[in-house]
Amino acid sequence: MSKDFYQTSILPYAAIIIKLCRAYTNTQEDYEDYYQEVCLQIWRSRKNFRNQSEWSTWVYRVSLNVCMTLLKKKKNKYQHFATDYLPVANTEESGAFTDEALNQLYDAIRQLSEIDRAVITLYLEEKAYQEIAIIIGTNPNNIGVRIKRIKERLKKILDEKVN
Amino acid sequence: MKKSIESIWKEGFLSNDELVAPKINDLYNQKSSHIIDKFKMMFNRNLKIVIIVGILFFIISFLVGVPIIGGFMLILLTWVVYVGIKIINELENIDKGNSSYLYLKSFHDWLKSAINTYAKIYRFIYPLFFLAFMAGFWFANLSKGLRDQIINDPDTVLVFGIPVYWVAPILLFAGLFSIFSYKIYLLDIKAVYGSLMNKLEELISDMESLIETEQE
Repeated sequence: MSKDFYQTSILPYAAIIIKLCRAYTNTQEDYEDYYQEVCLQIWRSRKNFRNQSEWSTWVYRVSLNVCMTLLKKKKNKYQHFATDYLPVANTEESGAFTDEALNQLYDAIRQLSEIDRAVITLYLEEKAYQEIAIIIGTNPNNIGVRIKRIKERLKKILDEKVN
Repeated sequence: MKKSIESIWKEGFLSNDELVAPKINDLYNQKSSHIIDKFKMMFNRNLKIVIIVGILFFIISFLVGVPIIGGFMLILLTWVVYVGIKIINELENIDKGNSSYLYLKSFHDWLKSAINTYAKIYRFIYPLFFLAFMAGFWFANLSKGLRDQIINDPDTVLVFGIPVYWVAPILLFAGLFSIFSYKIYLLDIKAVYGSLMNKLEELISDMESLIETEQE
């Protein structure tokens, strides 16, 4: 069993996993659980990777599939993601989570359906429509239309927040 | 909204180096909380319990003088275990590295198939087990006194040596057991897995809407 697997095959792609997990979780505790579970499933499913795609594409797929089918634990309903509640470690070590506009965007993304969260996150990561379609298993012709609708919805949510 | 969502995203993650991953504790020995792995653990645990129960019944049947009935019960439970192992093995075909649509579809189909298979089995297993249990009780050494009392009672109606008015309600109960155990099992499953099934169906339906041609 390679102890280096996490260092060599997961950590370089942690950004992907982090960004996806944040789209599917509402609390810090869930986010950490999801991250851990995704890494575990990547480790356990590694033998199924058959070099038919890039490793990064495969990591996206596993991350998405795990996030969509992971049952959330019952939690304290008062715990939630908000800049006021970000743990000190995150605010100091990770500039990304201190960005209020980004947090608001994530709040808006979390109001989308689970498939739409996947589509928009992959789009924002500058994945081509073809690649998004391959990851999700859909028709690439419809991805553009769906993205347009999602962006309109996100814009509406964000504008409502501002107003 | 002044900035585009694309620029919010880009500026929010100015550098991937700034993203700090949560700490991982002993990744390689972690217990998974994923639903598929939970199913595997649950199935394996239940199968072990079934085997233990089958062996116990078999041993007891020898002690009370009805080894054939004990053997029959063990065969029934072995069948349950055999089907259970086949169902668990099908879980291995669900590849988390597949496209999301294929993954969700295969997981949904597996869950539906597992529920239907067990519902069908329990429709037979419960009443047969019940009948075997009653037969074991009737023919056991300990029941000789009761058996003789019933058979020798002049009011007892015997057909091929079987007391009809005793056996008929048992058979009727076994029949009702078959019908109701099936329905109770499905209700039970719905209570436990209904929300998961609904969620999977919603996800699949949403994905299928992406596969069909959309109008702009």
